[in-house]
Amino acid sequence: MQPRRDGAPETRKTMLADFDLVIPANLTQALQILSEDATRNGHDAMPLAGGTNLLVDIRARRAAPKRLIALGKLDELRGTTIDNGRVIVGGRTTLTDVLRAPRMAEHAPSLVQSARVFGGQMVRNSATVAGNLCYGSPAADTVPPLLSLNAELTLASQAGRRVVPLNDFFLGYKQNVRRHDELVTEITWPLPPSNSANLFYKLARRKGDAITVVGLAVTLVVESGKCSCVRIALGAVAPVIKRALAAEAMLIDQALTPTLIDAAAGQAVEACEPIDDARASAEYRCHGVYVLTRRLLTQAWERLS
Amino acid sequence: MSEPAEYFRPLRPTELRQVGRPLARTDAPGKATGSTRYGGDYTMPGMLHAKVLRSPLASARLRRIDVSKARALPGVACTFTGADLSDRLAPTDIPGQTGAKRLDTGQSILVKERVRYYGEPLALVAAETPAIAQKALDLIEYDLDALPGVYDPLEALKPESPIVQGSNNIVAQLKIRKGDLDQGFAEADRVIENSYRTQFVEHAFLEPEVGLAWVDENDVINIRVSTQVIEHFRSIADAVGVPHNKVRIMGAMVGGGFGGKEDLTVEIYLALLTRATRRPVQLVYTREESFLGHGKRHPFVMTYRTGVTKDGAITALKVTITADAGAYVFLSPYVILYALVAAPGPYRIDNLHVDATAVATNNMYTSAFRGFGAAQACVAYEAQMDEVAKALDLERMAFRRRNFLRTGDKLATDVPIESAVWTDECMTKAWEALGERTPDSVPVKVGRGVACYQQSYGRIMWLHDTSEAWVGIEVDGTVTVRSGVTDIGAGQISALGQIAAELLGVSLSDVAIYHSDSSTTPLAGTTTATRALYMTGNAVRLAASAVRERLVARSAKALRATPSQVDLANSRAFVIDDPDRWIGFKQLVALCASEGIHRSELALFRAPFTDKIDPETGRGRVHPDYTYGAHAVEVAVDTETGEVTVLKSIGAHDVGRAINPAAVAGQIEGGAAQGQGYALSEEMCYQEGRLITLSLSEYLIPTAMDVPQIESIILESRSGLGPFGAKGIGEPALIPVAPAIANAVADAIGVRVYDLPITPERIVMALRQPDSME
Ligand SMILES: Cc1cc2nc3c(=O)[nH]c(=O)nc-3n(C[C@H](O)[C@H](O)[C@H](O)COP(=O)(O)OP(=O)(O)OC[C@H]3O[C@@H](n4cnc5c(N)ncnc54)[C@H](O)[C@@H]3O)c2cc1C
Repeated sequence: MQPRRDGAPETRKTMLADFDLVIPANLTQALQILSEDATRNGHDAMPLAGGTNLLVDIRARRAAPKRLIALGKLDELRGTTIDNGRVIVGGRTTLTDVLRAPRMAEHAPSLVQSARVFGGQMVRNSATVAGNLCYGSPAADTVPPLLSLNAELTLASQAGRRVVPLNDFFLGYKQNVRRHDELVTEITWPLPPSNSANLFYKLARRKGDAITVVGLAVTLVVESGKCSCVRIALGAVAPVIKRALAAEAMLIDQALTPTLIDAAAGQAVEACEPIDDARASAEYRCHGVYVLTRRLLTQAWERLS
Repeated sequence: MSEPAEYFRPLRPTELRQVGRPLARTDAPGKATGSTRYGGDYTMPGMLHAKVLRSPLASARLRRIDVSKARALPGVACTFTGADLSDRLAPTDIPGQTGAKRLDTGQSILVKERVRYYGEPLALVAAETPAIAQKALDLIEYDLDALPGVYDPLEALKPESPIVQGSNNIVAQLKIRKGDLDQGFAEADRVIENSYRTQFVEHAFLEPEVGLAWVDENDVINIRVSTQVIEHFRSIADAVGVPHNKVRIMGAMVGGGFGGKEDLTVEIYLALLTRATRRPVQLVYTREESFLGHGKRHPFVMTYRTGVTKDGAITALKVTITADAGAYVFLSPYVILYALVAAPGPYRIDNLHVDATAVATNNMYTSAFRGFGAAQACVAYEAQMDEVAKALDLERMAFRRRNFLRTGDKLATDVPIESAVWTDECMTKAWEALGERTPDSVPVKVGRGVACYQQSYGRIMWLHDTSEAWVGIEVDGTVTVRSGVTDIGAGQISALGQIAAELLGVSLSDVAIYHSDSSTTPLAGTTTATRALYMTGNAVRLAASAVRERLVARSAKALRATPSQVDLANSRAFVIDDPDRWIGFKQLVALCASEGIHRSELALFRAPFTDKIDPETGRGRVHPDYTYGAHAVEVAVDTETGEVTVLKSIGAHDVGRAINPAAVAGQIEGGAAQGQGYALSEEMCYQEGRLITLSLSEYLIPTAMDVPQIESIILESRSGLGPFGAKGIGEPALIPVAPAIANAVADAIGVRVYDLPITPERIVMALRQPDSME
């Protein structure tokens, strides 16, 4: 008998199916590979960012891509900047990068709140914001904040770039408008004005490494004692994360009162189409939407008035 | 490792020099640096890789299974189905040390006809690579006819239910009849009855099951395996049909057991495959296979009916316990025995009836888990203590004090407790350590809870537990200890080193310890039942003491003193009243060697033996002794979302004597985390027997973000049966945690959640009840 020697190949224990790993050196190369793949190989390649969704799916045999295009070397897509009144997060930026970015707590309070309770440290070090959006889990934690911030995505391919509001990005459960030859290169949103509040709450069964039971983000802007803009985003209560538009409509141009907030919270529940699963019942999810909408609206209003 | 100089000062002979110090454990450096080898780190040239095919149905008849396509796959070396096996069964009874047969509870090694639980093994494959083995599993064809199943123990007791085991699904039934229950209830001013439910729980050890087997030049099947019990070599030999001395189990450091590696796991599969192929075979479970591959903690339904006087004296208690045994018997009869004994808790109850029943269902089988039935009982009896106190408007701790069992009082089974019972001291200290109360802040309410317990250490006395150990001294003065004990992460082995070092007057770094090899280390018994320190520690104490006696006698001669005037410490023998008269340990040992004085000893430690308890009354001794203690917590409950945050968590336990206080604190901290999961988030969910929480993203053990700083308070009554007066702490540390949290949540929100786990959802539901506070 001999113990395993250091450096010996570990493939014998791999639990993943076979795939080819392509590591482009820059964005141009990456887009070229994806474009060739889309035309010649019939989309059997997938971008690989942190792998915290994709590799899990491959191991569970939920995905079986023949090629993975690793984005690890695309440093040009990594980082956060401010340009022309907009915050820009690169398509390879990790959750840890978001937490470390200077002044992000002012530029996207809700996103920072969600990043703080996202997975655990190891996951945050690998997981990217773009991966979180593209995977499109109904429980994705960066989506409610980014919806509440009115974020837009830049999708790039060899053919060019297009900008898609996050609100229009999702088509259905784990489906979105991204074409196979496209990469998300940027996620941007306008700098929040000083008379705004932006909050997020993750309701989950434990505090670390938890899949969200209800994720709720609220943006409120108050002008002359009235709500001039409000966005309420609901996570994990429908096949797609979405805004509670009817509830928002009830609040616009109003001074918020407990009664009005209560009514809007009730209206937000109407927007939910939750399921029962091992984590929580549909009923509890609705309850969560109700209490959290009420809580975040109240906090936002109190902060601004 | 060098120890601080203070350990080398000459001490009075009654003082201990090694024992009682928080020394760095012998296993610590390897674990900290990653050089420790676990079972899965061992490989062999030409090794095959095994996989197990499991049933996708919980109740079915296997009509046909065809492995021909799998066999034909290049790279497949061997397959097994039930048809390839003799009628020998896989034993599921508690591993014995006496050869006496107890229960008839075997399970087919592979399904021959009847599938009784989801994941029951149908076939084995060994192949050149894990990928080929996996592919071969996919190629096995089989037909299963679904059969009606039963998935609830109370349902399973109904006459019309499908039969899973025996003639009526009852796999074990035990009772206690003590005192006069009717009289007791007649004396009560109030009678309070409640039912409590606990859930299926997974051990979730870090290291899933793993093993490597090969046949050696003596035709012995060697199995290197992650296990709590190397004594299984006998059952493995019986199951594959070879003599006992033709199977050898070698352990490795175990990455956690908690009872989940007490039963056989991969051993028989490996033995069959290596025997058939004559090649080394490795079997490594994934997390999912681990979830499917070993028994769980029994869910209990417990009804407590307590009679109590206005001033808080308990006059009568009637307890009914129904346990879900799952599809096979395994350790259920023993688990409900522990529950039976534990049912009243650490309280003196003169009029007591307990009925405990284990019922077979088509759920996953249930077996050993830290606390072994007594943990579930504590969830109920401590909740009930709070509920009774609340109903009578008594202060919770005063009510407990009024009823605490004290030394000399009779236990549930009507025999007196002889060792110290420091429940009160532990409860008081744990509560005090909570300090200032954290204030409420709407909508968050803060609550506090405490729970006390009684937990046995040492095996059931009619199992006739023994443990052997060998201690020897090399001519250079270094010490070797041999003990079959397995170390499942609690520092079992290091403690043996500390004991030997203490008695021989050397330092821990002078001791080398060989462990867990059923052929070459003296059999020490299982690492279960909080018995490892008690039993193997005593065996090492006996062996080291025998050697010490001879060394002391020889050194007394050399120092012209009497043996009683001589002590061993700091690697020398010296005259106690005149420490300048001394002889070096190495020199002394050389002297002994040249004179043929025996420098080693093989010792056997015997626990006290008894016969079984009376089947009608439950009267008699069940365990050698008990540990007592308490856990106190403070929680914050968000009354809107139902989320619970544990703010403070404090364990106070009388461990008799802490051989290594750092290791004791490790047990208390681990118990606090595991108990928190039990209380708040962990549940193996089965739907019609099918496991739906198949990964650690659905089965929610607490993370570092969830667990607060834990405070460990160690009390030492020195009254235990273990070495130097030690009791046990392995299981005890967990026991009171979940009920303390449950009590704190009830204190915070004013209503009780009677079922574990106390999820946010259950809290919200409880708060919606009309009788709940505001
Ligand atoms: C232990 C654990 C904990 C987790 N906790 C959380 C949590 O708390 N909250 C949460 O929301 N999620 C959580 N997740 C899920 C996961 O970490 C996130 O969704 C993460 O953001 C995915 O990012 P990634 O970079 O790892 O994506 P990957 O897994 O690499 O990719 C995900 C998908 O996005 C595509 N993709 C990635 N980048 C791009 C791009 N630039 N352009 C186009 N397509 C792209 C990939 O092709 C793939 O389809 C957790 C996962 C694990 C394993």
